[in-house]
Amino acid sequence: MFVQRRTKGGIFAAAVVAAAALVASALPAHAETGVTSSTIKLGVTIPLTGAAAPGYNKIPAAMNAYFSYVNANGGVNGRQIKLVVKDDAYSPAQTLSVTNDLILKDKVFALVGTLGTANNEATTRLVNSQGVPRLFVNTGFSGFADMKKYPTTFPLFPSYATEAKVMGKYLADNFAGHKVALIYQDDDFGMDALKGFSTAGTNFVAKIPYAALSQADPSVVGKWITSIVAAGADTVVMFGVTSATGALAGGLYKANLIGKVQLILGSVGSDGTTLKGLLGPLAPALAGSIAASFLPSPADATDEYITQFKAINAQYNAGATFDNNVLVGMNTAMLTVQALRAAGTSPTRASLIKAIETKGSTWASAAFSPILYSPTSHVGYTGYWFGKLGLDGNAVSVDGPGKYTLYTTDSGSAPVVKAVASRPAMPAKGLPKN
Amino acid sequence: MKHKSPAVRLLLLVLIGAVLIIGSGYVDQLRSYQGAQAAIFAIAISSIVLLTGYSGQISLGHGALMAVGGYAAVLCQTHLHIPYPFAFLVGTFAGGVAGFLLGIAAARLRGPYLAGTTLALAVGLPSLANQFHILGGEQGLLFDVGNPPASLGSDFTQYRWFFVVTVIAAILVFWLLRNLLSTRYGRRWRALRANPTAAALSGIKVGKAKVLAFTLSSCVAGLAGSLFAMLLGLVAPLAFTLTLSFTLVTGAVLAGVSNLGGSIVGAVVLVAIPELSNTAAAHFGGSDKVTANLPGVITSVLLIATVLFVPNGPKLPRMKFLARTRQ
Repeated sequence: MFVQRRTKGGIFAAAVVAAAALVASALPAHAETGVTSSTIKLGVTIPLTGAAAPGYNKIPAAMNAYFSYVNANGGVNGRQIKLVVKDDAYSPAQTLSVTNDLILKDKVFALVGTLGTANNEATTRLVNSQGVPRLFVNTGFSGFADMKKYPTTFPLFPSYATEAKVMGKYLADNFAGHKVALIYQDDDFGMDALKGFSTAGTNFVAKIPYAALSQADPSVVGKWITSIVAAGADTVVMFGVTSATGALAGGLYKANLIGKVQLILGSVGSDGTTLKGLLGPLAPALAGSIAASFLPSPADATDEYITQFKAINAQYNAGATFDNNVLVGMNTAMLTVQALRAAGTSPTRASLIKAIETKGSTWASAAFSPILYSPTSHVGYTGYWFGKLGLDGNAVSVDGPGKYTLYTTDSGSAPVVKAVASRPAMPAKGLPKN
Repeated sequence: MKHKSPAVRLLLLVLIGAVLIIGSGYVDQLRSYQGAQAAIFAIAISSIVLLTGYSGQISLGHGALMAVGGYAAVLCQTHLHIPYPFAFLVGTFAGGVAGFLLGIAAARLRGPYLAGTTLALAVGLPSLANQFHILGGEQGLLFDVGNPPASLGSDFTQYRWFFVVTVIAAILVFWLLRNLLSTRYGRRWRALRANPTAAALSGIKVGKAKVLAFTLSSCVAGLAGSLFAMLLGLVAPLAFTLTLSFTLVTGAVLAGVSNLGGSIVGAVVLVAIPELSNTAAAHFGGSDKVTANLPGVITSVLLIATVLFVPNGPKLPRMKFLARTRQ
C-alpha cells in the first residue's frame, strides 16, 4: 500500500510540472506575428522522410542557401530571414500536425513552398482561419488559384491541367498515330491532368492510375508494365512524382522494353539528378525521354539564372549537386525575397498579400513563363518547354541548347499558344532591388 | 480491494474532465490541439487494452478500424446531413460492424496468424478508398464540423472546442469500459486471456466472448477514427497508415497493455515524443534529416526498453479507480 501511495504522489507531481510547463511555453505576442526588428520567420512543410522524399528533401536546404546569401548581403530591409523546416513524410495528417507547430508555436510570418496537393488541402482550414500567407505552394493543383476558397494561397507552378493540355498539343504535333499510354497518380493531381488531356482531346490506349506512394511496391509497377504491353503502347506518358518515374524505368528495364517505348515525363517526375540517385547505373536508360519543364535546364551553363544560382549553391549549400530541386528551392526563395521587399519596411500579412497581388507579375524569376498574379488572379506560371533527357539525365531543349519554345495556355478551355520564351533579367548578383 | 461504484467513478472522471476543460482556457491553441490528439489516442489505445490486455487477442489493424469509423462518419455527415455528434455514433457503430465481421475470423486465429490477418487489414483497407469514387481516392474527403457553438463566445477557438469534444468522448469511453470490465464480461475475458482451455472448461463460451471483445474494441476504435477525422478536417488513406496502427500498439505497450488508466499515459507519451525530439534537436542542433527521424528513434528505443525492463508497463501511472483490480 505504501508503495502505491508514493507512486500516486509521483503522478500528481508530474502532472503539476507538466501543466506548469504547458502554461510557461505560451509566448508573448508581437506587433506582426513572425516579424521582429531584425528577423522575419518563415515556415515550410515538405517530405524529408518516406517514399516521396527523394529529391524533394533537397529543396529546403536550397531555399536556406539563397536566404543565407541574402542575409549575408543585408537581408530584407535590414531583417534576416529565418526558415523553419518541418518534415511531413507526405502524409496530410502529419502535415497538419507540423503546420500547427509552425503557425501556433514557431509563429511564422508566412508559409513558403509547402509541398503536396492533399497536404496543402489538409492545412487550409488552419491557414485560412489564421490568415497566414501561403506563398508559392509546391503543387500544380489548379484549385489553389481559387481566391474565394484559398484567399491567402499563391500557387506558382503551372497547373497540372495546363501541363496536360500542353502535353496533349505536343503529342498531337509530334506523336500523331502513336499508341500512347498514360500513368497517373490517382488523386487531385492526376484528376487535374485527366481534365487537361480531355480538353486537349488526347486519346490513350491505356490509362493506368496508381495510389500515391504505391510506386514503392514492385507488384504495382509490374501491373503498369503488364498494362502497357497489353495495350501495345509505344509511347508512355508518366504523370507522377519522380520516384514513380524511377520505378517505371526499373520496370521497363526488367521487362526489356528500354528503347522500345518512348517515355514522356511530366515536370513533377523528371528531375535528372534525383533519377540518377534512384536508378544508379540504370539511369542512362532514361536517355531520350522527353520531359516538360517550366524552369530552364539546371545543366544549361549559358542561362544567367542558372549560373548565378549555381554560384550561390556552391558557396552556401554544402556541396549539394545543383539540380531541378535546388533550382526550384532557389527560385522560390528569390520570389519570396522580392515579395518581402515589396511588403514594405514594416511588413504585415495583409501588406505581403497585397504586394504579391499588385506587383508579383513583374518580379524576376527563372521560368520562361510570365506570372499572372493580380488583385483578381492567383494564377502563377502558365507555360512549358520540351526537352530531351541526355545520358547525364539533364534535359536539353528539343529546339537545341539555349533555344526555348514556350507553350502557354490556361487551366480552362483557352487554346495552347506557341511562342519564343522571354522573362525579366536576373538582378545583379542575384540580389533583387525591387 | 473494494470496488468503487459506477456513480463514484463517473463523478471522479467528470471532475478530471472539468479540470481539463477549464484548464484548456489557460493554454494556447497548440496545446488544445495536442490535448485533443492525446484524448483521441487515449480512446484508441483503450480499445487495444480492452482487446489485448483483457481478451488476449492481438490486433495490428486498429488503424484500419479507425478508418472505417472515420469514413462512415464523414460519409453520413456529407450525404445524410446529420449533425456531427450523431456522425460519431455512426462511426462507432460502423467500427463495431467491421469489428464483428473481423472478430468472427479472429476468434478462430491465434498469435502470429491473428497478427498477420489484422496486419493485412491495416495495409489493405485504407487503399479501398482508391477503388470507389465515393470515398474520394487519395485526396480523401473533407469533414467540416463548422465553428464552435456561438454561445461559447468568439474567443473560443476551434481547437479548444475539439479538445472539449474529445475529452467528453474519452470520459464516456473510460467510464463505460471500466464498468464493463468489472462485470462478469470483464472476468470472462481475463479468464480467457489467462488460459483459454481452463476458461472453456469453466463454462465460458470462448468464441462468443472473443467476438464480443473484438466488436466492442472496434466500436471504440471507430469512435476514435471519427474524432480523428474531425481533428484533421478530412479522411484520406494516408491519414490511416500502417504507422498509425503500430503507433497505437506502441502506445498500449508503453502504457502496460492490461492497464486501462495507462492508456492515458501512453497517449500523452505519443503526443509528447515529437515535441521532445524537436526540443532536443533544436538544443543539440542536428540537421533536418536527424530532426525528421528522431521521433521514430525515440519511440523505438522506448518500446524496446519497455519490453525489456517493464513488460507490464511502468508502475508509476496506475490510477487506482481506473486500474484493473487484483486479488
